[in-house]
Amino acid sequence: MVGKNKTIGNIFVYAFLFIAALFTLSPLVLALINSFKTNRELLVNVMSLPDELHFENYQRTFEKMNYLRSFLNTAFLAVLSVALIVLFSALAGWRLCRTKTKLSRFLLKLFIFSMLIPFSSIMIPLYKVTLQLKIKNSLVGLAFVYAGLGVSMAIFLYNGFVKNIPKEIEEAASIDGCSPLQTFFLVVFPMLKPITATICISNALWIWNDFLLPLIVISDNKKYTLLLSTNTLFGQYSSDWTAILSALILAALPVIIFYAFFQKKILKGIVDGSLKG
Amino acid sequence: MYGTTAMQQKKIKNLQLIIFCAPALIVYIIFKLYPAGSGFFYALTNWNGLNKTYDIVGFSNFVEILSDRYFWNSILFTMKYVIVFVLVANVVALTLAVAIESRPKARGFFRTIFYMPNMISMVIGGYMWMFIFTKALYYLADNHGFKWLDHSWIGDPNYSFIAIIIVSTWGTAGYLMIIYIAALQGVPDNVKEAAVVDGASPWQCFWRITFPLIRHALTICIFWTLNAGFQVFDVIYTLTGGGPGRATQSVAIHIYEEAFRGNIRYGYATAKSTVLFVIVLIVTAIQLKITSRKEQEW
Amino acid sequence: MKKFASIILAFIVLLTMAACAPSTPKETKDPGKATDPAPVKTDPVKTDAEPRKAELSIMMSFPQFMDQWETYAKQFEEKMLKEENIEVTVHLEMPSSDQYESVLQARLTGDDAPDLYTLHCNNLGTYNKAGNLYDLSDQPLASLIYDNVKETVTIDGKLLAVPIESQAWGVLYNKAIFAELNLSPPDTLSDLNNICTVLKENGYTPFMLAFQEQWVPQLMTALTLGDIVSGKLNDWLERMYKDEGSYEEVREIFDVIDLIIENGTDRAMEQGSEAGAADFAMGKAAMFVQGTWASNTIMTTNPDMELGVFALPINEDPNCTRVNLSTSTTLAVHPSSSEMDLALKFANYVLDEKDSSGLFQSCSFNPLATCHDYEAYSWVADASDYVARGRAYQDLVLPSSVTDEQGRLLQEYYVKTVTVDDIITRLDEAFKAANALN
Repeated sequence: MVGKNKTIGNIFVYAFLFIAALFTLSPLVLALINSFKTNRELLVNVMSLPDELHFENYQRTFEKMNYLRSFLNTAFLAVLSVALIVLFSALAGWRLCRTKTKLSRFLLKLFIFSMLIPFSSIMIPLYKVTLQLKIKNSLVGLAFVYAGLGVSMAIFLYNGFVKNIPKEIEEAASIDGCSPLQTFFLVVFPMLKPITATICISNALWIWNDFLLPLIVISDNKKYTLLLSTNTLFGQYSSDWTAILSALILAALPVIIFYAFFQKKILKGIVDGSLKG
Repeated sequence: MYGTTAMQQKKIKNLQLIIFCAPALIVYIIFKLYPAGSGFFYALTNWNGLNKTYDIVGFSNFVEILSDRYFWNSILFTMKYVIVFVLVANVVALTLAVAIESRPKARGFFRTIFYMPNMISMVIGGYMWMFIFTKALYYLADNHGFKWLDHSWIGDPNYSFIAIIIVSTWGTAGYLMIIYIAALQGVPDNVKEAAVVDGASPWQCFWRITFPLIRHALTICIFWTLNAGFQVFDVIYTLTGGGPGRATQSVAIHIYEEAFRGNIRYGYATAKSTVLFVIVLIVTAIQLKITSRKEQEW
Repeated sequence: MKKFASIILAFIVLLTMAACAPSTPKETKDPGKATDPAPVKTDPVKTDAEPRKAELSIMMSFPQFMDQWETYAKQFEEKMLKEENIEVTVHLEMPSSDQYESVLQARLTGDDAPDLYTLHCNNLGTYNKAGNLYDLSDQPLASLIYDNVKETVTIDGKLLAVPIESQAWGVLYNKAIFAELNLSPPDTLSDLNNICTVLKENGYTPFMLAFQEQWVPQLMTALTLGDIVSGKLNDWLERMYKDEGSYEEVREIFDVIDLIIENGTDRAMEQGSEAGAADFAMGKAAMFVQGTWASNTIMTTNPDMELGVFALPINEDPNCTRVNLSTSTTLAVHPSSSEMDLALKFANYVLDEKDSSGLFQSCSFNPLATCHDYEAYSWVADASDYVARGRAYQDLVLPSSVTDEQGRLLQEYYVKTVTVDDIITRLDEAFKAANALN
């Protein structure tokens, strides 16, 4: 009796999970199969598999989007921004946690309070700042902007993480004659590895998928990110679903591949960031 | 070290602190605090975002907001969205998490799939769903007799609300699910087993034993969804653009349109985003207070 | 652990790159040269000397004609090198149309204006007031533009922009279907009603509806208001600007709007303008309230399409049935351009004796200047016929917030969340609000 109940329960749960999975994947799968069709075929039947694989859709969008260049731009931007965020906030987060003064409490509050400011209210002033500093159209400059926007959250996380690391190791290092900077790089930073992974992942995703900021700061199409190139293509082929869908797949591809390779790390990183924060 | 007084030591500590914080502080001030501050300054002006000159008008923008029907409608819509979104996304995520956890063999596979949408930009995901809502569902309705799908998913305000909820849940449930799974894994097995031995049904077992123990995750997830909900932009922008008319205009979209379209009243728009900021602040503070008190009670 | 150390190392390397990098690309490539006060000027006289290098940034809202304009920019670069010994690099920026305005605005407010940029003709007033338009009256191009078009881009006697898209437009229709059923273009509302009945009896859907983007339903108000103001209530708009009028007076425009919506295709809110044009080309409906700017999409989708244009009737008075003369996209020169010479050269080159026709034809733009020697399309001839008979009016210039509001409200009207009374009240409010700001 119990056994039978369990089988029914099993079937029920699996059916539920299966349907949910189907639902989750449906936009991607539909975009994928239809991106290989001709426009006419697509209009006739959206649900069928393509009669033959029309790779020329991809060939065209690949060229139109300047895919490789856009990809490299985005990758460069994401890696540099993340590096800046990690370095800046690890330094700050560690010291903020280890120093117990009025100043440290003030600084921590200062960093954290802005996390709820809506982006729309800083957009135009921020753009003006990038002009004044002459970093418009510069991916390096944009990376520093991302650092400015991203440090709050990262400092918050580092600060929380350092709390749980025993002080003794650092103290031992400084007694051994390490300068604070040496202590940081040789002793502390390696210990921050789990939370650093989290911060890298969540920030890389944010920057990779961000649209509004690059749209305003980058006007030179040689420096376009993937989303900007995709967006330009939408404007050019707004009535051609095959072009749009193949562009969507191409734009989503890098993150999906990245996810396929590192999914365990990514999922763990997300959990650490959320539960410990 | 031994010779220094406490006062001096404190000074050294603070100096060190400032040096270590300097890089972060500099970029933070330049790219976030200063723009936010000058954004607030524009809220006190009648700048239209285009002219070279503008006047400082004090708080009259804020006074005008009080009687701005479209703004409050968009707040109302956003509230409605936030309530439904927080509920649906969390229920879906928790259900998925519980289902996955109850079948450890399939855990990895399903977890991977459900989290995937979270990796993809909502601009991209939004367009993919657009294809479903404007092409695929009609195809099914017309050719395979799924008549119940034959609705104006983008055009009819009621259905487009559902569409927006579906897409935003699709994009976030995976993330929430991962957090819930981690919390569920933290619930010790022997507690659950003890309950089962005492004759509790799985349903009772979940609500009495498991649920209280994952309240921490619940707090995080609600905090996160509340915050994201209040600022919702991408999903609605790609799906309906706030339409038909203003029927699905969230505050963020309303502010964006005020700043860049029509009368392009940039000063007025920043005043509105200041109000939004205050609302989000209050709601978040209340939520944190309530949930953390509850957590302690348990 | 080792792997992790190498990641740190990579970060540090990148960081040092970051420290050195920003200075290099900025000086050589950054087109934000508007801030650069004195560009190096070499002798303008032709010499065998090294060509002077220069950059020109142009922002356009023509993503669908990207290829055509890129080609044209290349031609311009070659021409400049040959004739002026200047090595120009033209940077074309084409954000998609729904972001165009916000991006342009960000550039303008940031004192980082592009040298040239496109804008809608109806916004010329606002941009002029903000000091963002250079007076082109003395340029050679001024004498080339047809007078009726020139009028649309002239404010206070100053020619403020180069017209690019200019058209007489009304309702697009499928001539083949009309011929098959022996229908002719309507002169009155009852004619139009009759056409709809006949079309439906023969299994055709009369109107293509594509209301996903707000500006498309808004075309119905552009046409009907134009009709009523030019044929009947001549002073309505003036009074509206003085807070002395009301949409109540033009309530009859909803007669024809209702007719169009009732006889339209389904699922209008799911239909974008381009998709609508493509469907119309494939014969999904017989008429489409859309400007001739859609002809490019229509003719590429179905090269055999027999496209026609008629004026939209709003009542039983044929005198109100007129086509709309409007200039939509124009190209302006920003007064703060640091390459003013080149910017003006480009503006003139857009209406170049030799090359302009090719560009305009490849984008299916209508001829609008004496330098355009190509045959106008048949649908343009249809509309010109109305113009010749004096049945045309200049597009009404409404505050852009009112135009937006009309589009929004018509979307809502279509999905039946507002009534005509609501629309009238809300448009009156929007007009008053816009008046108060200007």
